[in-house]
Amino acid sequence: MRPIETRYARSGDARIAYQVVGQGSFDLVLVPGFISNLDLHWEDEGYSRLLRRLSAFSRLILFDKRGTGLSDRVDAHHLPSLETRMDDVRAVMDAAGSGRAALLGASEGAPMAMLFSATYPERTRALVLYGGYAHFHKWVMPPERLDAFIEMAETAWGTGATLPHFAPGRVDDSRFALWWGRFERLSASPTAAAALARMNAGIDVRSVLGAISAPTLLLHRRNDARVDPDASRFLAKKIPNARLVEVPGRDHPIWTGDVDRVADEIEEFLTGQRAVAEVERVLATLLVTRVYDTARLGDRMWSERSQRFQETWRLLVGRHGGRSAGTHGELIISRFDSPARALRCAAALRYAAQEIGMASAQGVHVGEIELRGPPVGLTARVTTQLAAHAGRGDILASRLVADLATGSGVHFTDAGHIALDELDEPLALVLAMSEQHLEPACHAKTRPAEPTALTARESEVVSLIADGKSNAAIAAELRLSEHTVKRHVANILLKLDLPSRAAAAAFSARHAGPDGP
Amino acid sequence: MLTKTQAVDGAAIKKAIEGRDGKMLSSFYTDDALVRVIDRNNPPSKPREIRGRAAITTFWDDICSRAMTHKVDTTIADGNSLAFTQACAYPDGTKVFAAAMLELNNGRIARQTVVQAWDE
Repeated sequence: MRPIETRYARSGDARIAYQVVGQGSFDLVLVPGFISNLDLHWEDEGYSRLLRRLSAFSRLILFDKRGTGLSDRVDAHHLPSLETRMDDVRAVMDAAGSGRAALLGASEGAPMAMLFSATYPERTRALVLYGGYAHFHKWVMPPERLDAFIEMAETAWGTGATLPHFAPGRVDDSRFALWWGRFERLSASPTAAAALARMNAGIDVRSVLGAISAPTLLLHRRNDARVDPDASRFLAKKIPNARLVEVPGRDHPIWTGDVDRVADEIEEFLTGQRAVAEVERVLATLLVTRVYDTARLGDRMWSERSQRFQETWRLLVGRHGGRSAGTHGELIISRFDSPARALRCAAALRYAAQEIGMASAQGVHVGEIELRGPPVGLTARVTTQLAAHAGRGDILASRLVADLATGSGVHFTDAGHIALDELDEPLALVLAMSEQHLEPACHAKTRPAEPTALTARESEVVSLIADGKSNAAIAAELRLSEHTVKRHVANILLKLDLPSRAAAAAFSARHAGPDGP
Repeated sequence: MLTKTQAVDGAAIKKAIEGRDGKMLSSFYTDDALVRVIDRNNPPSKPREIRGRAAITTFWDDICSRAMTHKVDTTIADGNSLAFTQACAYPDGTKVFAAAMLELNNGRIARQTVVQAWDE
């Protein structure tokens, strides 16, 4: 497969970057929200999943609005009107040879798509509006909050500071937070971002809603953090041929949260057929790690430690041959091919949590999960409940995990049963203990003696012993009594924990330096 | 449009496809016709199926709304079977090649299987 080509459509004086992907019999134009960058989208797991799903049943046409992403920059102080930007959609469709297309308007892209649909009904096959609205101040934010948002965008643009406003559920996902910072920087300059926000605030397309004749699907997350779900309820009342589907979730960007659910709804609406469920299932071991102690640590310290722990988690999971499968608040999910690897990783994570100063409790279970996407089925729910049931520092596993890990060297003790609503019978549990080695436990060695522990006189005596001299000869050489030499030798053997004169001689030879032992 | 007595043939198909005449194309099918499309996303064990004249009309309307060129090169007729190849190009240069096998019933298309490949 050759890389996706980025082309440029001419719209007036501006060049609009666009990509075409997929081989479906009808065209689908994705009208992006606030900011976008065609190249960067493919680097995010959720975004590329959404695009792959949509392009599996359509010829998907993607573009960056003028002033954003890969399209021409415009004078940030004189940004184009909504009408001009809507006309960019037409220019891109013309360039891609699309006479008629379904439009998917996401967030700020929704008013643009509505305007297009009302203006060019003959070119609109259908309309899908995700997290959309007709009037900014009424459903996104009132003027006073907008000023604060713009000020924040101007001072902290490019750092990912806007993430909590769009996807609060992903703030703790350090990898996504970093991506979001790049997304900001590569999608718009700080001045353009502030100007775009100001311009979007002027959006009011309520008067065109009655003129939309295309069949319309409205999708909105029930607890959307950015756009009030009432915005779509209003659209459902005003657009003649519209149907509203509210989906669970609070993160606003269309490529976050349950992307498959959104793609399923769109596919069914546009093709008349529900996507065939991807029922490829595999046997896997899931590890759910619960870290806590929030109350004891305080929010700030918790947040720092939580981030550190997540970085360590990704590292350790990779090192144990697993895959990080997502985080949900205090719950961290990893996936492994073998129970022994999951258990060893759990032990390493327990140690890491201790080092960082957090409490951990973990659950391990084995079962079938779907090959693609985050683990969400019964196996995931059981594992999560085991983690909830586990005590501080515990690695609580189902008996099945222990049976499969036989011979791995991991040791288990019986931990009774747990009754779970979803299971007919109580689940037998074990606690994973530290690894049991076949060789006897080694006692910690005493700290090896250092030559510096000896006095200057004792060092002289050791040197002479190493020369093979007797106590009498040493006494004569050092002008000491033989009794004193004997006492020195006894002290030396005691200090160095050595059994004999010969051993002391060998020690001296080992430690001899330019200044003697 | 076809009259009841006029049978679909290679020349009619060539004219409708190259002229991007969706209405004409959909009139070639029986009411309960089945079009199967096999391509990268729709493998042979699970081809995309478009059933009935309404769905087939939408299918051809979508295809014909695209500002692209179609060229029907070869048509072969053998009793109630008809086959043709089709070379298409988008304005950006992307090429698509398709081969279609059709079964006719009373002069109309009852069943069609299209195998297509795209530049990618």
